[in-house]
Amino acid sequence: MMEVGLQHFLVVSAILFSLGIFGVVTRKNAVMVLMGIELILNAANINFIAFAKYGNFGFDGQLIALFVIVLAAAEAAIALAIVLNIYKNFATVNVDEINKLKE
Amino acid sequence: MSQPLAYFFDSLYLIKPETSIIGFLVLILLYDLIFKKEKWLPYISLFGLVVTLFLIIEQYGYNKFAFQSSTNFGMMAIDPFGAFFKIIILLSSIIVILFSILSKELDVARDRMGEYYTLIFGMILGMFLMVSASDLILIYIAVELVSLSSFVLAGFLKNDSRSSEASLKYIIFGGVSSGIMLFGISILYGITGTTNLYEMNSLLQNFDSTNILMILTMILIFAGIGYKISAVPFHFWTPDVYEGAPVTITAYLSVASKAAGIVLLIRLIKSTFVSQKDTFGYWEMIPAFDWQGFLIIISILTMTIGNFSALWQSNVKRMLAYSSIAHAGYILAAIAVLSDQGLVGVMVYFIIYLLMNLGAFLIVIVIKNKINSEELEDYDGLGYRMPLVGVAFTIFLISLTGIPPTAGFIGKLYVFIALVDAKMLVLAVIMLLNSVVSLYYYVRILKHLYLNKPKAETTDIELSFSLKLFILVLAVPNIIFGLYFAPILEFVKTSLIILGI
Amino acid sequence: MSEYNYTLLALLVFFLPLLGFLVTILLGKKFSKIYLFEVAIITIVLILSIVIGFFKLGFQVDERIISQFTWIDLKSAGTPYTSFIIELGIVLDNISVIMLFVVSLVSTLVHYFSIAYMKGDPRFNRYFAYLGLFTFSMMGIVLTHNFLMMYIFWELVGVSSYLLIGFWYEKDSASDAAKKAFLANRVGDLGMLAGLLILFTTYHTFTIDNVFGQIALGVLPFNSEFWLTIMGVLLFCGAIGKSAQLPLHVWLPDAMEGPTPVSALIHAATMVAAGVYLVTRIFPLFTGDALLFIAVVGALSALIPATIALTQNDIKKVLAYSTISQLGYMIMALGIGSYFYGYFHLITHAFFKAGLFLAAGSVIHAMHHEQDIQNMGGLRKKLPITYATFLVFCLAISGVPLTSGFLSKDGILAGALAFGSLTGHYLITVVGFTVAMLTAFYMFRLLILTFHGKPKDKHAYDHAHESPALMTVPLIILAVLSFFAFYSFNPTTAEKGWVFEKWIQTPESVVPESARYSFMVPESEIRDRKIIHSETYTKTVHDAHIPAVILSLLLSGFGILVAFTIYYWKKISADKIANSLKPLYKFSLNKWYFDELYDKTFIAFTMFLSKILNWFDAKIIDGVVNGAASVTRGFSKISGGFDTIVIDGFVNFSAFFSGLVGIVLRKMQTGKVQVYIVLLIFSIVILIFYFSR
Repeated sequence: MMEVGLQHFLVVSAILFSLGIFGVVTRKNAVMVLMGIELILNAANINFIAFAKYGNFGFDGQLIALFVIVLAAAEAAIALAIVLNIYKNFATVNVDEINKLKE
Repeated sequence: MSQPLAYFFDSLYLIKPETSIIGFLVLILLYDLIFKKEKWLPYISLFGLVVTLFLIIEQYGYNKFAFQSSTNFGMMAIDPFGAFFKIIILLSSIIVILFSILSKELDVARDRMGEYYTLIFGMILGMFLMVSASDLILIYIAVELVSLSSFVLAGFLKNDSRSSEASLKYIIFGGVSSGIMLFGISILYGITGTTNLYEMNSLLQNFDSTNILMILTMILIFAGIGYKISAVPFHFWTPDVYEGAPVTITAYLSVASKAAGIVLLIRLIKSTFVSQKDTFGYWEMIPAFDWQGFLIIISILTMTIGNFSALWQSNVKRMLAYSSIAHAGYILAAIAVLSDQGLVGVMVYFIIYLLMNLGAFLIVIVIKNKINSEELEDYDGLGYRMPLVGVAFTIFLISLTGIPPTAGFIGKLYVFIALVDAKMLVLAVIMLLNSVVSLYYYVRILKHLYLNKPKAETTDIELSFSLKLFILVLAVPNIIFGLYFAPILEFVKTSLIILGI
Repeated sequence: MSEYNYTLLALLVFFLPLLGFLVTILLGKKFSKIYLFEVAIITIVLILSIVIGFFKLGFQVDERIISQFTWIDLKSAGTPYTSFIIELGIVLDNISVIMLFVVSLVSTLVHYFSIAYMKGDPRFNRYFAYLGLFTFSMMGIVLTHNFLMMYIFWELVGVSSYLLIGFWYEKDSASDAAKKAFLANRVGDLGMLAGLLILFTTYHTFTIDNVFGQIALGVLPFNSEFWLTIMGVLLFCGAIGKSAQLPLHVWLPDAMEGPTPVSALIHAATMVAAGVYLVTRIFPLFTGDALLFIAVVGALSALIPATIALTQNDIKKVLAYSTISQLGYMIMALGIGSYFYGYFHLITHAFFKAGLFLAAGSVIHAMHHEQDIQNMGGLRKKLPITYATFLVFCLAISGVPLTSGFLSKDGILAGALAFGSLTGHYLITVVGFTVAMLTAFYMFRLLILTFHGKPKDKHAYDHAHESPALMTVPLIILAVLSFFAFYSFNPTTAEKGWVFEKWIQTPESVVPESARYSFMVPESEIRDRKIIHSETYTKTVHDAHIPAVILSLLLSGFGILVAFTIYYWKKISADKIANSLKPLYKFSLNKWYFDELYDKTFIAFTMFLSKILNWFDAKIIDGVVNGAASVTRGFSKISGGFDTIVIDGFVNFSAFFSGLVGIVLRKMQTGKVQVYIVLLIFSIVILIFYFSR
């Protein structure tokens, strides 16, 4: 049985980050896009905590992770409100179709 | 009292401006909640800003850390350099709040103005923190604070589909950019084991060549900063958001949040990557990341793409959005010199940029109030219908181009001299060529104002006295500072004290 | 008065005329009476400059008040390689304060005079606006303390002069004259610009004091005294143009096409004196060789126009040539090191020459724009005040005792005599005395032909009438100022007067002693600032004074006598003399053929060159283009439409290219936020790869 080490966490976080970007780029539904952003933030969170634990850097890492969670929640709240407003104006939440401002 | 607690109370004295902003934020919120009288809100806000301005001026000379940890470095660096940019942010906030009183565009949302001013104060707080932050945690929180407030402000006209679209694009793009930045920060934390920029500096001294991980992290972190200052290729949100957002917010984003982003960048470079300064004020860099090469490329891209994209725009707000991207390019060029002299260029440029860009946006607001359009073809013949507006717009545009005797010329001159002095001639020449390109689209506006015949019969448009006065207050300094700018330079030179090396 | 108050007043004096100009030009169409604003402004300016002059000359004679601010400072911005400081500012020393008074006084008088003279002109307000602009730019020249501002206002003065000469631009001759003046001045300014470039690259500053300081420390352009001379001569070229010295004098007589009060203000008293003023301002930096050059130019400009003036019949032309001649006098005086008298003559001349022109204006006004003196005569009875003042001015310019002209002119002549005996350049002395005689002659010829004898044009004579008080009062004021008492209690010499003793001292030269005139090197070890000449020189000048007075009195008396003999008593027929000296007469009448010479040389050469270019253009270029075009047409037969693509495409290439880039960039902005993010990620990846090569 292999010991779970720093590298494993980093690989997981890298995959999460990539999945997040992938989600943001490919999903049509605005809510799904926002979830992609959450994934990116959480990928960073995993990094922070993993570095804090394995690098013996004190509690800074965990602290940042807590802040990030709070901010992510705030961002999600605002983003959902905006999506709601978009739905009122466009009658759709398909990110692709919201492209009146261009060129 | 224990030592850390003593530090904490000492630090409270250092963050008086921030405290004042928080206080007034709460005050506005409560006032709005209890009294529901929109009329006095802007004046309370203005009062708050003036009080804060005095607090900043009062602590202008301070040069120390707030919220020190045991390692003698703190979360925030309170220094004249930061105070300088806080003053710039406050001035632009004051002007933007005056804009908001004038703007008819916001009339549909007058019953929600309490939120509007609260959010602006939220942005100011965030920008103050960005200006002073010397710790990655605080940097991230500050950037997010500014972003979250501005996402809402960009979509403040709820029933306007363009405004909502702008806010959606803004939040998606902003969320991704700051997410990338956070990811970069997490890796940087892993490399150095600290979140404080100054502590990092001593740890990075070990690097004697470029490091692939540092390159990765720095470019990722720059994604967040570049998005704030709309540097190419992190600028894609800028034109769309600037066009869709209310003009007042566009003006605000183009000056204040850009200023905060620039300070963040300078502080990151200066406190983390500079090992020492030579006698002429040039910085010796830690070779972990080639900041100069990076900034040169970004700055050339930014100014060139900004200017060329502006060429064919038919919406004046959008054109000014691209022009503000180009100006970010000039400022980045000055930072790329990596010397105190370049910083002089940046700071002089910012004071002048504040005047000329906000002036141009004021004109856009005034014209929008009168003819309810931002389209260039609707501007035909306006120079004769509103003579003062025409003349003032001419001054602002000439200043933005950087032709003497306007202040814009002085701004460009100092950047240019810094470049020439550092023997970065190619960048200097590219900057000149870009100015020539920019002349084309700025003059295009003037052509519409004066040479094109309006399509329909028109009458003269009268402006109120206070509006005329406001226009003059922004236009006249553009000429005066073009001729007599010694005070600006004095102010800049005394402010050129950055905590650290 | 404190320095602050001086600066405040001086800035008011400086900028009020600008305000007058702006208000008058902007509101000129709406309010027909707005010119009164300009007149009021200029009166305030006059009062303020009197106040400045009173306090400065009365109580703070020895102070130099310099107020300046740093305009561009690249030194303390921390630039190690490109460092210079450009300061802008004003200086109040005795010469500028006196000049301030002269300019504002003459300008004020001309303003009032013009109210009557220009009455009924359709562009009345605009005329006053231009006068305001001119006064502003002239104040700039007078007050400035650095070469950069000097140059800027130098050009601005040129512009306002251009506007005023061509004020009646419907007349072809007026607009041509304006162009000629502008071009001739450009030639001189080009030299000045070259001088400024040498100066700035050597000293990295425009501030006059700093330049002097560095020269005194031995910093020379290209490390050679020769180049210092060249620099001085080039700077002096500006003065040649503006003060209408030979060979660029041709514009001034033509400039008489402008309204007569303008001629009085600009082309007699102030602007043309700017060249002389420039030389006095930068006097210390001229080497001996440069000064000799200046003296020669001045002497030629004094002599040749004086001979031309002998035969001219247009009242304004005579005065124009006499102006050039007198300016030459001043320049010559400066060139021979007679600094004080050169400057002094500038002042006295400003008053009596402005007076002469205004009196001429009064005559022209009375004669309904008749300017030919052969059609005048006998006007003495019709225009008593004009006549009396004109007579005073004539006496003054001829250097008759008790007048101001006597004081200044005799000083110059004494200086010339001393200069001749010290250096052996006696020609300059001879020229000086000859010109004194010629001046007396042609001025009295003018006086007699205009005011005495029988009226030639009976009709015009009958309608002639004395001008209104608005015109005569300025004349009287100027006439009063042409008496000695305002300059010195002693009518025989200015040396004991307050102007000389207290106000104006020759500044010490800063050039290396080896490059100065030998007599400008002090012999004693004590370098008192009042002793800048050698003792020998002071003594020689002192000794030369009495002979100079006697000789000049004899000569100008002779000149006046001859004028009376020929034109008043008619003992000798003027025609007979003219016939017996026909070639000389024609030579003088045709102004030494200067215009023709320029026509035949420079202008012909330019025309020739342009013809060659034209021919080249027509034959060669067109040939090539046509050839290319026919070749292209040949190709176009093969592939139709190629022609338009190549030619138009090439011509519009740059615009097309930038447009194309713009369009491509526009297309990148698709409006879809996910595309933006793809582009963002993509560029981040590229950046990371690029930097981790």
